[in-house]
Amino acid sequence: MNIGFIGLGTMGAPMAGHLLQAGHALHVWSRRAASADSLLAQGATWCASPAVVAAASEIVCTNVTASADVEGLAALLLEGLAPGAIHVDFSTIAPSAARRTAALYAMRGIEFVDAPVSGGGNGAQNATLAIMWGGKSALAPRLEPLFAVLGKTVVRVGEVGAGQVAKACNQMVMVAAIEACAEAARLAKGAGVDFAKVRTAMLGGSAGSRVLDVFGGRMATRDFAAGVEARLHHKDYALLMDEATRIGAPLPVSAAVWQQLNALMAKGWGRQDTSSLFSVLEVLEGVAGGLAGG
Amino acid sequence: MNVGFIGLGLMGRPMALHLEKAGHTLHLWARRPESLTPFAAVNAKTYATPAQVAANAEVVIVMVADAPDVEKVCLGADGLAAGGKAGLIVVDMSTINPNAARTIGQRLAEKGSEFVDAPVSGGEMGAINAALTIMVGGKAAAFEKVKPLLEKMGKSVTLIGDSGAGQVAKACNQILTGVGVLAVAEAFNFAAKSGVDPAKVREALLGGFAYSKILENHGQRMLARNFKPGFKAWMHQKDLRIIMEEAHRMGLMLPSAAATAQVFNAIVGSGMGENDSITALQLLEKMSTPET
Repeated sequence: MNIGFIGLGTMGAPMAGHLLQAGHALHVWSRRAASADSLLAQGATWCASPAVVAAASEIVCTNVTASADVEGLAALLLEGLAPGAIHVDFSTIAPSAARRTAALYAMRGIEFVDAPVSGGGNGAQNATLAIMWGGKSALAPRLEPLFAVLGKTVVRVGEVGAGQVAKACNQMVMVAAIEACAEAARLAKGAGVDFAKVRTAMLGGSAGSRVLDVFGGRMATRDFAAGVEARLHHKDYALLMDEATRIGAPLPVSAAVWQQLNALMAKGWGRQDTSSLFSVLEVLEGVAGGLAGG
Repeated sequence: MNVGFIGLGLMGRPMALHLEKAGHTLHLWARRPESLTPFAAVNAKTYATPAQVAANAEVVIVMVADAPDVEKVCLGADGLAAGGKAGLIVVDMSTINPNAARTIGQRLAEKGSEFVDAPVSGGEMGAINAALTIMVGGKAAAFEKVKPLLEKMGKSVTLIGDSGAGQVAKACNQILTGVGVLAVAEAFNFAAKSGVDPAKVREALLGGFAYSKILENHGQRMLARNFKPGFKAWMHQKDLRIIMEEAHRMGLMLPSAAATAQVFNAIVGSGMGENDSITALQLLEKMSTPET
């Protein structure tokens, strides 16, 4: 199949590579041309613009950062996409932006699917992502063989936008768990107890989670190299708190977590791993005199 | 071995029976005599006071609700300290304040007894299936003596550190489970209010970085709207109170635990404390539905 791919970053590049290796003809464009080099060496075709990608492809995939990036690209892809073509967006954006883009395409008979992923750079490289997608169920036969190449858990959550709602839920549950780990590690440290042992004991019990395993492990060894860049989680929290405000859903824990992410960003740690939430709780250690003295 | 056991409730009863089945002789006292009924047919002796239990046992296990109960059983009139022989080991498996555990341990040591804190995670099912996670604080020598007993009740037994360290680990555990339950409840309510099926969301999330036992098990019970305990919300409120007391004592900022504790205050205040912790979902739903 002819597939387009735009957004060849930490996630997008390995995902595009899997599609190429599965035998698809891959058409790529990138704002920074160098990010396509390795894919071109493997046989992908360079296109001069998003519209050229769109014209060459039955399905165009995007994996970019913000709602505005996706909506900006959609305006360009619209020039080249044929009726019946599908734009699959793997980015994490606002559910309302996904629904708007689908409505824009619908007038031309073009399909839009939101398919955000969870699993990070490792998940993308190992093709073990969780893919949560929203869109017409009639598109499933065309999409699921592609998704199967990229991830190991693929769920159609509902109509367009539903994938982004699921991803918002994913971020709430995941980052709240990272913050809870950080608070547990801080409590253990304050009490003079080795968090590495506490983590080991908890892993087998009802507090066991992937976050405790992976992010708790990074906190125990103080390895704050990303991982998952905290600035991306911070961005996702702005989206989900905005959406919560819009629909009137009370999120007391998520709101507290959001403020900790704000503090993390203010410390300049946005490109570190989100396990740096532990460092945020350590900031006030031993500075009582300094703060009081102004 | 002669093992004393005090606190034969939902958790304590199956735990004590595992020890009896393993060939140990049980020595029991209960505040409510009817708690002793299930032990009439097994190898167990009953007494009028904790002191008498202590006089007949090498190790006494305590599994009660909160620090004042532990203190009374250990150090009150006719308490364990009043009857224990030199070298008695008291294993407290209740969830109490770490600092209270250290204090009780010191006072027992002054009277010639060892104290080990060994709180558990895994709930009633964990107790029934001898699959508890047991987090231990105390001296290594005492730990080695009681470890074979603990292994009859749990599948993971870890010495975390000195006296009180088991309770610190349990506090950490309750931060993760409390915040975890709230986060899943917030996510499901958010999905439902967005017109998206929470069951599909849970299914999708289980494969990703949000995977947790809470999402899997508690999440499933939220979807089934089965709010029967399980683990009662008022007990989680109590555990969060202990955590926030410790945070206050040490001057620690625990923002997500604090937000969670406030929600559990509201749950108990709304008369939902006897429900399972997952009743947090019902509270959020109540808060986001118009009054009619």
